[in-house]
Amino acid sequence: MSITSALWRFPSVQMAWRNLGRNRIRTALATLGIVIGVVAIASLGIAGVALQQQATANLGTLADEVTVTAGEDSTTEGVTEEQVEEIRGLAGDAAVVPKKSNRTTLTSRDGQEARVSVTALTEASALYDVSAGDNPDRLQSGALLTNSTATQLGFELGDPVEYDGRLYRIRGLIESQSGFGGGGNELVLPLSALAEQQYYDSVTIVAADGQEAQRIADAIEARVNEDDEEVLSVTSFASVQENIDSFLNTLNLALLGIGSISLVVASVAILNVMLMSTIERRGEIGVLRAVGIRRGEVLRMILAEAAFLGVIGGVVGAAVSFAVGLVVFQVLAGDPTLVFGWESIRYLLIGFGFAVFASVLSGLYPAWKAANDPPVEALRG
Amino acid sequence: MSVIELEGVVKRYQSGEEVIEALKGVDFHADRGEMVTVIGPSGSGKSTMLNMIGLLDTPTEGTVRLDGRDVTNFTEDELTEERRSTIGFVFQAFHLLPMLTATENVELPSMWDTKRDRHDRAVDLLQRVGLGDRLSHTPSQLSGGQQQRVAIARALINEPEILLADEPTGNLDQDTGRTILEELTRLKEEENIAIVAVTHDEQFVEYTDRVVRLVDGEVQS
Ligand SMILES: Nc1ncnc2c1ncn2[C@@H]1O[C@H](COP(=O)(O)OP(=O)(O)OP(=O)(O)O)[C@@H](O)[C@H]1O
Ligand SMILES: [Mg+2]
Repeated sequence: MSITSALWRFPSVQMAWRNLGRNRIRTALATLGIVIGVVAIASLGIAGVALQQQATANLGTLADEVTVTAGEDSTTEGVTEEQVEEIRGLAGDAAVVPKKSNRTTLTSRDGQEARVSVTALTEASALYDVSAGDNPDRLQSGALLTNSTATQLGFELGDPVEYDGRLYRIRGLIESQSGFGGGGNELVLPLSALAEQQYYDSVTIVAADGQEAQRIADAIEARVNEDDEEVLSVTSFASVQENIDSFLNTLNLALLGIGSISLVVASVAILNVMLMSTIERRGEIGVLRAVGIRRGEVLRMILAEAAFLGVIGGVVGAAVSFAVGLVVFQVLAGDPTLVFGWESIRYLLIGFGFAVFASVLSGLYPAWKAANDPPVEALRG
Repeated sequence: MSVIELEGVVKRYQSGEEVIEALKGVDFHADRGEMVTVIGPSGSGKSTMLNMIGLLDTPTEGTVRLDGRDVTNFTEDELTEERRSTIGFVFQAFHLLPMLTATENVELPSMWDTKRDRHDRAVDLLQRVGLGDRLSHTPSQLSGGQQQRVAIARALINEPEILLADEPTGNLDQDTGRTILEELTRLKEEENIAIVAVTHDEQFVEYTDRVVRLVDGEVQS
């Protein structure tokens, strides 16, 4: 009753509301069609968003990095100091981390052994996250060890590890990374530890984002590699990210397409229902016209009926999609609250908007037909 | 001056090859405070003539005058405005809207006039036709005679000059028909309106001021 009194000031809307109440089952079924359409559009859209966010999260910071190693046509066994300087020149604000690497076996006090890869570099904090101890911007002495390795061998902060006959104190424990790049035992030492190795094995550039990484990769490629020569091999995951993004975008469009089809089906159902109900009420509408109700007023009344179906269906559909979104994010990302992000909420609004638009569009023809039916013909039945 | 006037009105219907001439040059007029009854055999053109008077349909030939103004060539939208302000309809089949109460049905013709609130007049009219205790009943909760009285109140809501009734007692028994006729006669005087009624009902002749006999699309004198 409160809805009716609020709409009292709009006679077309009020009449529409009453008319829909006359055949509740028909109204409910027509609305159900719209609900299904909205749920199809909105929840498929939200599922797409969830997939995309999940893929991006899995790729982690890897997409922001560029890795440079000596190429096939390099005259040296690795990346030279001059080349590193050149890269620094091209990298702008991005951190440039030249690295030397090797492998070794670490032995614990009780004789347990573990194979680790050794990375010698200076700019430790640019590449690693440390869960305990410190994470020096410039690693001049001491060592960092992956947390899991330390646990396995019973090493603690401050314990010495031996490499190439020299002892290094463990200053920090590296957090095991999630994502593709993580895992593996790693010992990080100052560059001096591998001083006898003349060239760098690789240079990692950490950019602010994927786009910047791609730009830097392209710049290096253009500068050092002439024609088909590959002096330096430049690897960037930004392009991988782009490929994944474009695949997911296509997938999203396909999902939206499927959703739209169900909304088209729903609006055909609305067209049918509206047409049926105006034909049934032909005499009644004739009476309205006879007693002086204008054509535009009849038109608005029937359009309002269609709009009501759309609004009710849209609201219910958006609510159901929201629930579906909670489940999807819980399953894919383990965090249902992510559904509140604009990216997914957007699809609820799109679904709702489409529902109202499609319903009003479907109502146009029946409304126009009813409004322009000559009253004499309509009254004759 | 007559409220409504038909002059040489001809109405032809094209149905397939055949042309049916439902009205063959009818002259007619009705004045305020007068009840005119139109009688005639089935198919003689009574309803067709009433539609012309009610501005629901336009003649093929001839002139329709409302309050002395020629409305023959009015557009549908102009005719709608005239119907709204000047004419009230009562139908044989009542034609009340089932989802509205008696009061709302009476208010219906003025419903889209948000500037004027006709609620009080609707209640007053219902009380005058003896339905003061049925204000919020829906049509399905009313008898045929009660429904027709709601329809009469609805026809009067916009203070019309003419009330048109096509077989208003056709769906009612004799006694109920009589009360409706008494109602109409009383309202005719109270509201000073012209009533034009089409009927087969012999009782009408008692209450009517003038009888117009229509035979085969022509007025018999
Ligand atoms: N829309 C139309 N198309 C074709 N012919 C029509 C149309 N309307 C009326 N007629 C014809 O016009 C003639 C007069 O019809 P009308 O309905 O006016 O008769 P009536 O006097 O009201 O009859 P009744 O007493 O049975 O109601 C009839 O022959 C009818 O068939
Ligand atoms: Mg008739």
